[in-house]
Amino acid sequence: MIPLKYNVRNLRVRWKTTLMTVLGTGLVVWSSCILFGLVDGLEHSLAVSGDPLDLIVMRKGSSNETTGGFETAKADELLTLPGIARDYSGRPLAAKELLNIPIAQRENGTRTNIIVRGVQPASRQLRPDFRIIEGNDLVEGRAECIVSKSMSKRFKGAQVGGVLNFGDKEIYRVVGIFTAGGSAAESEVWADLKDVERSTGREGSVSCVQLRAAGPKDYDSLRNTIEDDTRFKLAAVPESVYFLNQSRSSIFLKGAGTLIAVLLTFGAMFSAANTMFAAVSARTREIGTMRALGFSQLHILISFLGESLILCGLGGAAGLLATIPLNALTYETSDFNSFASMTVAFRFGPLVLAVALMMTLAMGLFGGMLPALRAVRLDVISALREL
Amino acid sequence: MKYLTYILRNVRRNPVRSLLTIASTSICLFLMMILVSFFAISDEVNASTRIYNRIATLNANGFAGMIPIAYVKGVAQLDGVLATTPFSWYGGKYQDEILPFAQFGVDPETVFTIMSELSIPPSQLKEFQQTKDGCVIGRKLAADKKLKVGGSLPLKGDAYPVGLDLKICGIYDGPSDRDLRMCLFNWEYLDERVKQVAFGAGSAFTPANARRSGNAAMIFTKCKSADAMPVMCKKIDDLYRNSDFPTRTQTEEAFGKMFEEMLGDLKGMIRAIGMAVVFSLLCVAGNAMAMSMRERTSEVALLKAIGFSKGLVLLLVMIESVLVAGLGGALGSLGARGCSRSSTSRSTQPGSSRFSMSHGTSRSRGCSSRSRSALSAASFRRCERRTCRSSTD
Repeated sequence: MIPLKYNVRNLRVRWKTTLMTVLGTGLVVWSSCILFGLVDGLEHSLAVSGDPLDLIVMRKGSSNETTGGFETAKADELLTLPGIARDYSGRPLAAKELLNIPIAQRENGTRTNIIVRGVQPASRQLRPDFRIIEGNDLVEGRAECIVSKSMSKRFKGAQVGGVLNFGDKEIYRVVGIFTAGGSAAESEVWADLKDVERSTGREGSVSCVQLRAAGPKDYDSLRNTIEDDTRFKLAAVPESVYFLNQSRSSIFLKGAGTLIAVLLTFGAMFSAANTMFAAVSARTREIGTMRALGFSQLHILISFLGESLILCGLGGAAGLLATIPLNALTYETSDFNSFASMTVAFRFGPLVLAVALMMTLAMGLFGGMLPALRAVRLDVISALREL
Repeated sequence: MKYLTYILRNVRRNPVRSLLTIASTSICLFLMMILVSFFAISDEVNASTRIYNRIATLNANGFAGMIPIAYVKGVAQLDGVLATTPFSWYGGKYQDEILPFAQFGVDPETVFTIMSELSIPPSQLKEFQQTKDGCVIGRKLAADKKLKVGGSLPLKGDAYPVGLDLKICGIYDGPSDRDLRMCLFNWEYLDERVKQVAFGAGSAFTPANARRSGNAAMIFTKCKSADAMPVMCKKIDDLYRNSDFPTRTQTEEAFGKMFEEMLGDLKGMIRAIGMAVVFSLLCVAGNAMAMSMRERTSEVALLKAIGFSKGLVLLLVMIESVLVAGLGGALGSLGARGCSRSSTSRSTQPGSSRFSMSHGTSRSRGCSSRSRSALSAASFRRCERRTCRSSTD
């Protein structure tokens, strides 16, 4: 086996070329990792949002909370159903919620729709790890609201002490900032249910009811009651299924990310191949020498493939490292399911690592294959005679 | 031009290297152009709607708010208005496909006057106006789903608690940059159906504002002239400012821009990735150029010995580099153009469906070729200094 030291030393000697190639492949890996980090962030927030015992009750046939409304009378009856889990003080973990989608202005002046969710006290426990990190939780009936951390950074007036003005009847004072375990709730503004009912004139209806079953058996019986009982005839969607359906929006991003990653890999592959071809043609005498010394063709092949892999590996590592500082990055765009803003946090996880690794391997192997084969096929005598 | 042969020979000197560089450049530029043109489309399509003099009226509080149908008549009576129609998004499912295509409840008498760039055979239009449950669909939608005039189009309710059983009365056509995948039906048919549900169930049902009966959702108005537009916007908003349902009216262009603004950070991110890709290409092509120049130092020395000036030699190298980069860019843009032609037939975005290649192509190709030549010039300078030193020996 030709020692790896040979390859490493060669890369070091031709350091300018190595640097350029590493930069080229590194940037390519960096771009793809960013995209996949965002995809992962989106999927993670959707996965985290779904508790296995939680149900979202909407009108039958509706595919989204924003359009799935039904009568308040039915909702009130739902809250009294047996089988709903209770919190430590005996109150049922079930809440009526009313959604509104007003237009809000970002700090940079552009506008988008945001979700304002009218909630009841139990709503907080139905979200994973709900916490107030700044200010206070809202007090009912005072037109107060709380915003998520990422919203407070992006929207005008969404800071503690600020005011969110969505119209003459819809003005909320921001009193606190919350986080909810990275779940979908972090793209929303929360206000008191009665306040939202009043400001939008929708006293008789709710958008959905969120509830948690006390156990698996109660879960099944609740679902059956809600869906089949003539009192209700609503859709009881398991929370995880609901969010899985919402992740349709990540499909576009995933598809785009994959396309970009594949194309960029090809582009960088050719660049690595270029470098390796130059390396091979500059070292024909060395290759001839090694062959003369007794290394077999297979050894030469492995050696040059190895060098190509090291080269691309350096680029991949550089690109990967460059994505680490982006871990705190959040980006805000529109979720076309609910037609409102959603915030996604970049997540540096196994998906990103896997993408970087696969790209590097592909670039190294396929890029380096042809040059390595050329090195292998050199005739020993004429190689020794090369200038 | 007399040096062109020499330059071309130089490019062909190491065909593998040149091919690889061209391939690498073309792939990355292809990608970048698709990314950049993605946003150039919507800008162009939006600007192109300016000539139609249309304005859109929404509830001031957003899409979830209601616009009473009476407002449509109110706006129609204003001076400076050619025609108005409600434009209520239905959001139904077709064969269990969620959001398959856009469906809107409109006024059959006025909608084609307002959307004047769309054409429909007069007999089909008459049929649409006379059939309560009729609808017209776009040419591309009819082709995609293999629907024909006279066929039925059953839609299941998703955003609304009612389904619609529509009959296809006509197929409209229009320029390729308009949305030819809409389904337009009679607003009154939807309203009737919603009323039936509300009163038929017997319970005191007050659904969310937007799903109430009598909701026009949006009013689409064609103004008599372009100057009338800002005046009309203000007039309409003033008229309803103090009512229960205040409005916000804007030109069609601004309305489209609003959708673009919804994309938020995504735009900036895609641009950043595009920049990173171009920079990476810089390194790739510059690297290739530097490698080939390193092999030619004695040749450069020879050229200078026979009298070529420094500037001329530099120029020759730059042209060679621009040629290689340009070839890669040309291939990439051809690929992107071909890709966009085939994708327009399958795009399902409402409103915008054509890639505009003019912007992205020239800009990206130009700047990357220039940067490439700059880099190779820099590497060449280094080689040049080396040869200067050696040639004095």
